[in-house]
Amino acid sequence: MNPNFTRRRLLRGLGACLALPSLETFLPAKASAAGVATTATGAPQRLAFIYFPNGAIHKHWWPTGNGADFKFGQTLAPLESLRHRIQVMGGLDHRNAEAGNDGAGDHARANGTFLTGVRVKKTAGSDIYAGTSIDQMAAPHLAKSTRFASLELSTDPHRKSGGCDSGYSCAYESGLAWRSPTAPLSPETNPRLVFERMFGAGNREERAASLAKRRAQQRSILDFVMDDAKAIERDLTHRDKAKLDEYLTGVREIEQRITAAESFGPPPDTAVPMPIGIPTAYDEYIRTMFQMMALAFETDSTRIASLILAHDGSNRTFPEINISEGHHSITHHQEVAETMEKVALIDRFYVERFAEFLTILESKHDADGQSVLHNSAIVYGCGNSDGNRHTHHNLPILLAGNGGGTLHPGRFQQYDGKPLCNLFLNLTDNLGIPPLERFGDSTGRLADV
Amino acid sequence: MIRPAVIISLVMSMGTVQAAESFTHEALPIFQKHCYECHADGAKKGQIVLDEFSSLEAMQAQPELWAKVLKNVRSGLMPPSKEPRLAPEEMSKLVDWLKRVPLKLDAARPDPGRVTLHRLNRGEYRNTIRDLMGIDFRTDEEFPADDTGYGFDTIADVLSTSPLLMEKYLMAAETIVAQAVPLESRTVAMQNLNAGKFTVNGEVREKEGLRFLSFYDPHEVTGKLQVKQDGTYRLTLDARVRGSFAYDPGRAKAEFKLDDQSQWQEELKWQDGKSVNVVREVKLTAGEHAMKLTLEPLLGKDQKPKENPGDGPANVDLHFAGVILEGPLEPEFAIHPANYDRFFPRPEIPADPAERRAYASEILRRMTTLAFRRPVDEPTVERLVKLAEASGPKFEYGIARALAAVLSSPRFLFRMEETLPEADPQAHPMLDEYALASRLSYFLWSTMPDRELFQLAEKGELRRNLFAQVQRMLRDGKSQEFVENFAGQWLQTRDVMSVSIDARIVQARDAGTEKEMRARVDRFKQIQREIDQAEKAHDDAKIEALKAERQVMRDMFGAKRIEFSEELRRAMRKESEMWFRYLLREDRSVLELIETDRTFLNEVLASHYGIPDVKGGDMRLVDLPPESVRGGILTMGTTLAVTSNPTRTSPVKRGLFILDNILGTPPPPPPPDIPALEASEKTADGHEPSLRETLAKHREAPLCFSCHNRMDPLGLALENFNAMGLWRDQEKGAPIPVLPGQLATGEAFADIRDLKHILVTERRQDFYRCLTEKLFTYSLGRGPEISDISTIDAIVEKLESSSGKFSTLLMGIIESPAFQQRRRSIP
Repeated sequence: MNPNFTRRRLLRGLGACLALPSLETFLPAKASAAGVATTATGAPQRLAFIYFPNGAIHKHWWPTGNGADFKFGQTLAPLESLRHRIQVMGGLDHRNAEAGNDGAGDHARANGTFLTGVRVKKTAGSDIYAGTSIDQMAAPHLAKSTRFASLELSTDPHRKSGGCDSGYSCAYESGLAWRSPTAPLSPETNPRLVFERMFGAGNREERAASLAKRRAQQRSILDFVMDDAKAIERDLTHRDKAKLDEYLTGVREIEQRITAAESFGPPPDTAVPMPIGIPTAYDEYIRTMFQMMALAFETDSTRIASLILAHDGSNRTFPEINISEGHHSITHHQEVAETMEKVALIDRFYVERFAEFLTILESKHDADGQSVLHNSAIVYGCGNSDGNRHTHHNLPILLAGNGGGTLHPGRFQQYDGKPLCNLFLNLTDNLGIPPLERFGDSTGRLADV
Repeated sequence: MIRPAVIISLVMSMGTVQAAESFTHEALPIFQKHCYECHADGAKKGQIVLDEFSSLEAMQAQPELWAKVLKNVRSGLMPPSKEPRLAPEEMSKLVDWLKRVPLKLDAARPDPGRVTLHRLNRGEYRNTIRDLMGIDFRTDEEFPADDTGYGFDTIADVLSTSPLLMEKYLMAAETIVAQAVPLESRTVAMQNLNAGKFTVNGEVREKEGLRFLSFYDPHEVTGKLQVKQDGTYRLTLDARVRGSFAYDPGRAKAEFKLDDQSQWQEELKWQDGKSVNVVREVKLTAGEHAMKLTLEPLLGKDQKPKENPGDGPANVDLHFAGVILEGPLEPEFAIHPANYDRFFPRPEIPADPAERRAYASEILRRMTTLAFRRPVDEPTVERLVKLAEASGPKFEYGIARALAAVLSSPRFLFRMEETLPEADPQAHPMLDEYALASRLSYFLWSTMPDRELFQLAEKGELRRNLFAQVQRMLRDGKSQEFVENFAGQWLQTRDVMSVSIDARIVQARDAGTEKEMRARVDRFKQIQREIDQAEKAHDDAKIEALKAERQVMRDMFGAKRIEFSEELRRAMRKESEMWFRYLLREDRSVLELIETDRTFLNEVLASHYGIPDVKGGDMRLVDLPPESVRGGILTMGTTLAVTSNPTRTSPVKRGLFILDNILGTPPPPPPPDIPALEASEKTADGHEPSLRETLAKHREAPLCFSCHNRMDPLGLALENFNAMGLWRDQEKGAPIPVLPGQLATGEAFADIRDLKHILVTERRQDFYRCLTEKLFTYSLGRGPEISDISTIDAIVEKLESSSGKFSTLLMGIIESPAFQQRRRSIP
């Protein structure tokens, strides 16, 4: 279904008593003034990252022409109607994903490096080490403005433990976001749970109550453990008290988060029904997950999001488009034209889903009259460039949205071997957070984005 | 020579004549004879000065200094080996004086120390949830890794609780109750007939309860169903296609039959993760029914693809997990769901409100007592009952909510210890028996106490039955946790699974062809880059030429692939752990950890070690050939590999391993900005130096000498084992000379067998003390302190008199004041 969220439907949904004139109903009072991650007019500005696996077939990926005068190839053709919102970026690299002294494991590296920009530590054990990812560099600055500081999503629920690719921990490819170099954020794979977190469970009438109930239950547990901790605290000595304090600090932080969420009032209402779970068909699964991300942006539940469509090295088959071989296997096409065409079809399959997502965002309007897509910056790409040879330069990267007016889409630009991390700095600058000096292997900002 | 003024001032201020006399009579002569030349009269070698104390108090104010003196004297590091040794009676006199006077140790009433509030680590949490709630919650996936201290992940001080972890704990509590607590009282009966209950023709690979049926071999898997009642049953065939990363064209025809009637037929091919999804509802009569799964290959073995470099070997199997039988499906046959009785002992939930309340409080009192590992107070039970009642009308749901609170409580997440009342205010109180039960079970099982331990604690009879209980606990399979967690960390056997070893370079290095091998690898990479460039330039002729060259190289590389495979690594890990467990279970001497003529091997590991006549994949106890260099942890694959660099051995790391984990005398960490060994390797002129020569040159630097003189000779005794633990006669193509070595304490050894022997004879006490300290640290969750010296010495003495029996060590620790008592609180 198309969650077409017209103003009339919104009013119907909220009832006459809440007949406010614009989508500002969704904006918490403190965020509607211009500030961090807002446009000049005070509309929210979003940043998102979408990862597709195993690189792309270059000859079909890259447009012909350059600058504003370009023509999409067959892979990006589904984006044609949105070309004024798209910037195709050539010549961006992730050199830290290359083998270096670490040997095999390009898929894990491509995945682990994508948003962190660092050379991840080669280990299959618990001593994983990457870097704080770019989305998480920004998220803390925005945490006060929205219900959720960030949203991590995945449409690749299969998760192994231990080692995944040539001696790399699975943690490097189970998601994109890292809160710290040692703390990967596990993405949510079930669209229903994403929905419940934002809007509550059940049908439209029940959701606010269910979310309130859920919070009340969380609170009753927190109250219980607080009492419990206080009761035992009396008998503890100095060092033990310090240990218990760590515990209490954690509990209080969670309590504050619930209080903060409650301060936003009841959850936003949406006409979109709650997803039942993980759809069996892969295209429908991705569509539903993108819908959740669009909803999160539209209702200003968060301004930072990431979605990993599938981990790098994914060997998923695509019966939807009559491809029964595993994606990873056929990316090692050995230049066989027929196999390459199949890979290109998979590349296009993912781009089609992305185009559907952008179309939703383009159809939604913020308080400033611009589309949600206009007020977003969305990176779509992969940490592998050529899946056949495992290269990590000239990565397939798209930037969608106008970043609230800070970006200049509608072009095909070449950056001649600059780090992808340079782009990340441009994007976090645009959010209005304190500028980062550098990130990953960045060498500066990109000149013309 | 000591200045008289110092002695006089020392004597004058000592207060008691006794103490003054003990110094002048017992210690001073030994100090004068053996120590003052370097550590007095202005001499301060190693920044150690032993004569500048104005009073006894001033001496006692520096316990770290005296502990260091004690350690170095006892381990034979001081006086240095070129100086005269202390005579045995001098040694015992000095040791006794050091402990009694400047260290003020009270051997009669040792200070038990105090363990900080101990959070469950993620292994302990997982095991505790398994025993308490009856489900497996994968903490290795859900929780961040725990920090380690002193080399172990059981150290209370470093087991911190970050806000992130706290959040995970709350989420985990929700997930666990949702999974473990049944919300319905009736369900359909289910039988899990796992793959092990089936008969398979021929030999197939088995792993984690799965049978791997290759698509290239015909298979026939048969099993029997036992049905008690006539009725409708649901049969689920639990099997999944598993394919390698690389494409495999293998195909097979699969068929499943029940009582000779075909239920399912399908042609299977390489579709990794595809579940066969066979669910059938059938009417069955009471009695036995036959099941048969067959697999018929459709592609010949000769058509199996060759390995594609970079992608690993291709293969495709059907992983058969078993058959699930549900039923009878008719409602009248419904039973309690699995795990129901664990929480809800009564057959029905009472209807009467007061009765319901009593039932809830009965359940919550019992479960919370187990979760907190000690009786819970009534106010807590009442609060939990209220919490349960407030969550709605469904009784089971309310209990689940209350249990989520219990699992989030600090009393579950931390090990709360209480002590028995103590009349004497100067005495250190005994731990109560619940605390003792928890200490025992987390030590030997890494989980909560079981029913028997709990019941003994309840009756106050655990302390009286300690030895029998420890024996029982060691016989229990859960003691494998102790082996894996203690030995796994002490000897780093866990790490062999992930240590990075480049087998190709290691072997090329031994053969003297490392340079050529590296050049080949570099050339290969360069070709890849050139192909990139040629493609950009659309230079087809060049692309073709480069690809041809690449193919030649591929053929060369691919010809013989030497791997440090997972199978081999696993066998190594098992060898170490099984040997440790064997000595533990058979109550043999801990000295056999170092010197022995037996070990556990399977075919893979035996052939790696060059030991004949061991066939098959099972690890078994093997008598080693006479004069074998194997046997004992020093020459096990685990130790040799985890102490190596990815491309070569590291005698330094190996020496350090022995000092750190066997002798207990680790050198201080290296000063900063030390150039890597490879850097000096390149500057040497003439012939290319061996690692031994490079190290010798390195030791010449005075800054490096004192520590490397202790590490290098030990590590060099293992130079005949390469980074994978393979025996080798040459390094860099030149023979490895068998040269005698010497310990820093003076003992000379001819070879590795000799070294092992010295470690269990002349240096035996060091090993006993080192192992005792390690086990002490692991079991208590805190590092040994000065106040523990007497406790540890007492255990070492007992080990001496029992010739190192494992039970002496274990019981020594368990019965020690540090394990049994807690330092009295200072008000």
